[in-house]
Formats: sequence, structure tokens, C-alpha cells
Amino acid sequence: MSRHSMRFLLLPLVLFAMMMPATAEDLSAIEWVTNNEDPPIGDPAAKKGGTFYTNMTSYPLTLRVVGPNANDSFAGWKRAYSMDFTLVSRHPTTDNYIPIMATHWSVQSDGKTIYYKLDPDARWSDGKALTAADYVHTWHMMQSENIVDPFFNQYAKDYFDQIVAVEPYVLKVVGVFESWRPLDMFDLWATPAHAVTLEEGFPARYNNSVLPVQGPYLLDEQVAGQYVTFERLKDWWGRDKHYMQGMYNVDRIHIRVIEDNDRAFDFFKKGELTYYSVNTAKKWAEEMEFDAVKKGWVHRKRLFVDYPQGVYGFAMNLEKPIFHNKDFRKAIQHLFNFDVINEKLMYNAYYKQVSAFTGTEYENRDLIPYSFDPLKAREHLRAAGYEERGDDGILVDAAGNRASFTLSYGSKGLERHMTVVKQTFQRFGVEMELRLLEPGTAFRNGLERQYEMTIMSRTSGLYPGPHQYFGSVYKETKNNNNVWAYGTAYTDSLIDVYRFDTDKQRRVAALYELDAIIQDEAFYLPFWQAPFMRFLYRDSLVFPASYFPKRTQGMTDWQVFWIDEDRAARLEEAMAADRSLGEDTEVDVDPYKVKDRIEAALRAAAER
Amino acid sequence: MMQLRLNPITRKRLQRFRRIRRGFYSFVILASLTLLSLFSNYLANRRAIVVSYEGSLYFPTFQYHDMATFGQQDEYGFEDVEADYLALQATFDAADSGNWVIMPPVPHDPYEPDFDYEKPPPNAPDSRHWFGTDSQGRDVFARLLYGFRISILFALILVFVGQAAGTAIGSLQGFLGGRFDIYSQRFIEVWSTLPFLYVVILLATFFKPGFLLLLAIMSLFEWIRMTYYMRTEMYREKTKEYCLAARSFGASRWRLIFRHLLPNCLTPLVTITPFAIVGAISALTALDYLGYGLPAPTPSWGEMIDQALASHNRDKIWLSVAPFSAISITLLLVTLIGESIREAFDPKQYAHYR
Repeated sequence: MSRHSMRFLLLPLVLFAMMMPATAEDLSAIEWVTNNEDPPIGDPAAKKGGTFYTNMTSYPLTLRVVGPNANDSFAGWKRAYSMDFTLVSRHPTTDNYIPIMATHWSVQSDGKTIYYKLDPDARWSDGKALTAADYVHTWHMMQSENIVDPFFNQYAKDYFDQIVAVEPYVLKVVGVFESWRPLDMFDLWATPAHAVTLEEGFPARYNNSVLPVQGPYLLDEQVAGQYVTFERLKDWWGRDKHYMQGMYNVDRIHIRVIEDNDRAFDFFKKGELTYYSVNTAKKWAEEMEFDAVKKGWVHRKRLFVDYPQGVYGFAMNLEKPIFHNKDFRKAIQHLFNFDVINEKLMYNAYYKQVSAFTGTEYENRDLIPYSFDPLKAREHLRAAGYEERGDDGILVDAAGNRASFTLSYGSKGLERHMTVVKQTFQRFGVEMELRLLEPGTAFRNGLERQYEMTIMSRTSGLYPGPHQYFGSVYKETKNNNNVWAYGTAYTDSLIDVYRFDTDKQRRVAALYELDAIIQDEAFYLPFWQAPFMRFLYRDSLVFPASYFPKRTQGMTDWQVFWIDEDRAARLEEAMAADRSLGEDTEVDVDPYKVKDRIEAALRAAAER
Repeated sequence: MMQLRLNPITRKRLQRFRRIRRGFYSFVILASLTLLSLFSNYLANRRAIVVSYEGSLYFPTFQYHDMATFGQQDEYGFEDVEADYLALQATFDAADSGNWVIMPPVPHDPYEPDFDYEKPPPNAPDSRHWFGTDSQGRDVFARLLYGFRISILFALILVFVGQAAGTAIGSLQGFLGGRFDIYSQRFIEVWSTLPFLYVVILLATFFKPGFLLLLAIMSLFEWIRMTYYMRTEMYREKTKEYCLAARSFGASRWRLIFRHLLPNCLTPLVTITPFAIVGAISALTALDYLGYGLPAPTPSWGEMIDQALASHNRDKIWLSVAPFSAISITLLLVTLIGESIREAFDPKQYAHYR
């Protein structure tokens, strides 16, 4: 039977299924949960209006959020401001669940079935009602081959078992696996079913179309290669919702394409950008004393935020003979001189990472970091059998093996740090050869464990993923994040507690122990963390008292700032008259006590 | 011996080259610089040239000596780390015990960072570092010097290999002609379309890049250009009367090519070689700049330019002045030599019609 006639036979069945009453489920037993007790995310005193000028490094290749090229730097803007509003979100300061598109939710005892009651006020920007069918449509879109997006095809398969529009405003989501945080795992966004068809040719059809949005901003002007603007919807359905107070304040967002970040800095200094992220320690240390800062026309802030830092550091491949010996690995840990690198190459801007789960609530803060300690390193090297130096000054063991390995890495930017590390190692008799690879190759070689030592860099969500990094099931296979080939039955049992136990204290205890074991095994040498945002902004821009919320990664995450027209006028007048407004000398802000916490931990570790 | 075997025309050409002064002096300068750079380890090094300690002499330039050898100790009490010769010199001078150290004129090697500054590197030129330090705190002069040695040696070897192979293959093509010429020429056409940079990047993922590997890869492409010239020269020369004459005397193929034909085909080889050297230096610099050349921390001009052009170093002028002037001067010298050779070998000078 050909595929065509097959489809013909199936059609009546499908039609029949669609005509079945959707309210087959009994919803009366469901206990709905909501949370309107937490404070608003923004400042309710914020004023609406003004234009916010900022920059991005490349012009968007597409306006779609799925399909080819959809994950470019512009995606953050699209998702945060117009297209991708979650059903339920974590409050970025309290971490509690708060309603966004769903007013109520209900997690079933199986840990994977969730019911959502959608907000009946929600409207698409074209005025059509936003219903559960729009979420089912997103699911269909993610599954469709026509979107040409293997990531979402796979994501739909790995995460969602069923998505059902039980009633127009009741959505049922069944996840593929059980989780103790299904609301994080099985969330999704809505796609306007009335405006998006999934037939063949999807990527080209929606490449540059401005679709109806659920968020407060609609894409307005697009001038290819130059800039993109968003316009605020004045009658956005969500503007008076409890958690949206003081959010999404500016009327217009103007994003200019400036390829080079240093040029963007010049634009900012000229007054053509409202906000500028400072992304190098050198710039922060050396170039912040310019005239506009001195005159108070521009503010500079280093805001400490509390967001997990991810895995970042040297990974040693336990499959390679050189790293079989734990003492040798520990010697390497003690020869890594973070303080010198930080002081001499990074203007003392960063903090040493210690834990494998830095910044999460599962970070074991009692761990004592490996200090730079050549004496301890020598003890470990001797224990590993490296006692004598060869003719070239590199240690050799009794069998004549040299204490030498190769570091493969893909980041040319880290090369200067690595040459300094190499010189230190060499002084104490360990040779580290450097091998720069094309970044994609370096990444793939890492996953395939084709390296002796590499630099591992992964971002993390609020919750660490120890299973993918340290689960022993991944030791036998390649192409996964267990790049070090680590894992024992015991650590697996700890990871399982974290994955499946519903008692938080037991989960925390398990990961604390795992963290300590990982540190003792010494195959991961964590680098440094930057738990802050460094930025400059013009005096016309106003922030809430604590600037951005605690869980902020980047400026686009939470739009809580606003433009004060009076201050803007004052600034214009002061600049015209070359009058100072008084320098803002408060540079470091730490409303969430992150800096205090990190520095106290480092001090305590130093004392022990 | 060599002098005797040169034919009179070549001798005349060399004399003429000597008379073109800018070319000749360029040659002298470049040759002495190259020669000098072979002794870089004695010019810029952290290791001393000679140490006289307790009656024995040490020559540590190419030999690892630990601190224990000279009774030194570092701040951790280590004695097996490398001796600190500058400190040793200071100690000996102060003690006046008959021990002495001779340090190179520049007591820095191109690898060791100098962090004894208040500000993080790069630091501006001063009396300690004549050309300043780079963004890792390494001495720019030392890196320039060692970089020159690597560049020029690389270029000379590469060009020698390339020209020799190109000459041999091109000569054979021209001399044998026929089917060999047709097939080999097609092969060369296919081979020359291989994107060189991608081949380098590809091979660098399989093999550990280094001086020899890079040399080998680049040699694979270097010979092609020369074959075109030699092939045409041979085609032309082999039909000349002197060749027929030699053949009629029963000269072997071998003798015909090397004794009679090649010496008359050398003009393109000699004139192109200097420009090939320019090309080789530029190619290595470009590869290093892109990060696919010699692995870090090998001192190289391309890597220095990369640092100089990094946007965060745009106010550190000494980082760009050093490598850019060095490259400009070297390439200028080689080009002047090449231009003079071309002039010296120009047949029109002799009103000599062939």
C-alpha cells in the first residue's frame, strides 16, 4: 500500500479523534496552585516611555525562533520581549514559581504530568485570544520535520510525551520522564496557531515575517545590516499583572548593529547608546575614567548577581596513562597559580571557582580550594614516582616516562593565560605542550575524549546536571559531557539521590559529598568565575534599588529599567552647558550579598 | 673550486650584482643578520653564557642546571628548579669570591613572563626591556630575535626544498615532454587547486603542528610555481644547437640536463628565489597570525602581530612597532636583493642576443 492511500485511510480516523469532546477528563479533582505573594520583579514606581538605545554584534539572520539560524544573538531579544513567555517561571529573586501565561498550575504525583490554567486575559498582538491550542501548536511545530531544526525535533522527543488542550484554557502537559521539578523541565511557549502553518517551506516562509506576539514588544523597523527596533504595545494584556509591574517600561528599543565591541564603546561615549556592557577586565580597569563618567553623565556599575557559573576549567582525561595517577593530578592542581594569572593578566577581576557546581544551591561551600603550593605539588609528584629531573629539566619517573602532556584547546583568547601556566608548570618540572585547535574540533575532541588535557566550558542552569558530567553510564560511550571518563557505582548512587529523591536536604547532602569526591579526585581543575555584570549607562536611565534581579545573566533577561524624561532633559542641558552632575562614585553594588559571600568563603578557606 | 666552474657569463652577472650597491649591501646586511640570529641563544637568554663557579666552568646555554649546582635556593626552598643566573651574577658580584657569570646582552628569553611591574603586562619599553613586554609579560626584543631566526630559517629551507623539487620536476617535464609532460601537468593543475589553508587546518587537527610538519605541508605546495618556469625554459633550450651538438657527441641524458641545459635555465630560478623567500616569510607570518602556524609559545612574528592588532592592545604602540618594522625591513632587504639579482641577470645588459 502506498503512503498516499495510507494517509487517505487514516484521515477519517484523525477527523473522528478531533471531533471527540475535549473535556473527556475530569478536572474537578485537580488542586490548583498559584502564587501572588512574592514582590513584583520590577519597581512599580517605574515610568513608561522613552527610547532605549543599545547594540548587538550582528544583524539577525532570521526572525524565526526555530529553524535554521534561529539561535543567533538576536534570539535573546526575540525570546525575552516578544515571543517566548513561559507558562510558569521562577521569580528571579525569590526562586518561587510565579504565574506568567498560566494563572494556576497543578503538578500530579507522577512527577511528569502538569495541568495549567491559562490566563483568559492573554491576547495575541493581533487581538486574537491565546488558548491552549496555541501550545499544542508549538508542540506540533517542534516535532515537524518542516522546520528543519533537529535540535527542536529531538527536544520534543526527549521531553514531551503529550500536550493536550483539555479545555480552551486548560492545558495538560505530560513529560517523558519523572522529575522533582517538572515545572522547569516541561515548560513551553505558545505559537499563534492562526498565523503559523507547518507545511513544507516553513523556514523560508517565516524568515522575515513579524508574527503576532504574546509579549509586550512588537518588532517594528528592520533596516538590514544597520538596526532593528521594537515598539512597546501600549495596551499589552499583561501590563497590569502583579509580577509585570515596573517591567517593560521603555516605549522603543533601538538595537544598532556594531560588529566590534570597542567601536560600540566609542558609540556609547559619544552618547549614542543608552547602555553598554563592559566585557573585558582590562577595559573595566583602564578605560572607565573618561570625561562623561567624571561629570556624572554616565554611571558605571559592577552588579554582583547570583547565577550559576557552569563548568569551566581544565579537564584531565582519565583514560590517558599520564592522568591515571591521582597524585599527579593533585600536583597539577597545586601548580596552578590562579592568583598570579588573576593579578597579572586579569586585573584581579575574577574569583577562583572551587566547586563543580559553583553558584547553585548544591555548591559545597566548605571545600577548601587547592592552593598554589609547590611544596605540596612536589610531595604529590614524588608520590606519583616523579623524583628526578631529566636533562631538559622535566621530571622523569623510574621507567623513564617524562611528566609531560598536551593541552588541546580551542580558545585563542585563553592562549596568553595558558602560556603563563605552562611556564609555571615547567619551572617545577612538568611539561605542558600547547595545541590550539579550531574551536569546533576542540569541542568535538573533548566529547570524544581525544585529548590528554583540555579546557572545558559549559553553561549551567539553576540546577546542576551531575548525571551528564559524572554519570558512569557515559564512561563506556563517547560523545557526551563526561569528558573526563569518571564515574563509580558510589558516585552514581549519589547522583541518583539528586535526580530522584524528593527530599531536598538529602539531595543537597548527596551533591555536597559528590562535590567533595570530585575535588579529591582532582581531574577537574576549575578556573575562575565572574559573578557580576559590568555595565555603563546614561544618567537618563533609572534602575530599581537593587538594579537587576538576583538571577540575571544578561541585560535582556529582565527589563526592569526605565527612562526618566526629566533626567533626560537635565542630562541634555548639562551636556550642552558642559556642566557636571557630580560623579557617581558607587561602582560596586552587591544587593544580594554575593560578593560578601564569595570573599568570606575564600578568606575562610585561606585561614584553614 | 666553485669559482672555477662558474661559466664566464654567470661570473659576469655576479660581478654586476656586486656593483648594484643597494642590492649587495642588502645581501650583506641580511646575511649577517641571519648569521647573527643563529646565535640568538647567546644574545638573548635567561641562561648565562659562561659561569665560573668554585673553579669549574659551566656553559648553561643549552644545558639545564638546577639551583643546587650553584648553591642557590628559591623562595620555597627548592634546589632542583632551574638556576637563576641574573641573581647568581648579583650574588657573585657582591661576594667578590672569584666566581663570575657572563650573561647575554639581553638577559631575557622569549618565554618567561616578567611580572615584576606594578601594572599588568604589556608594559612599555624601559631599560629592562628595550622593546617593552607583550601581553604575557615576555620580552618583545627576545621574541623578535627568535622570531626572525625561525622565519628566515623556515623560509630558506622551504624555498630551497621547493625550488629544488620544482626545478627537478619542471626540467623533467620540459626535457622528456610527451606523455610524461601531459600527465604530470594535469596532476599539477589539480594539485594547485587544493586550498592550502584548509589543508593546513585539517592536518593540524590530526598531527601535532610543529616546525617540520608545517615545513612539510608548505613544501607540498611550494614546488608548483617553479615547474612552470623550468618546463618552458627546458622546452626552449633543448631545441638549441648546443644541445643537439652535445647530443651528437653522445652525451647521456643526465649529462645533457645537468651539464648543458640547467646552467642555461637558471635565470628564472635565481630571480624568483628572493621573491619566494618573501612569500614564505609572509605565509608563515599569516599562518601564525591566524593561529594555525607554530604552536604557542613559539616566538613568531605572526603571533606578535596578532597581539598588536588585538583591540584591547590598540593603545600599546610598541607591540605593533616592533614586528611591523621587523617584517617591513626584512621583506625590503630581500626584495632589494631580488630586484638587483634580476637586474644583474637581465640579458639585455650585454646586448647579447641568443
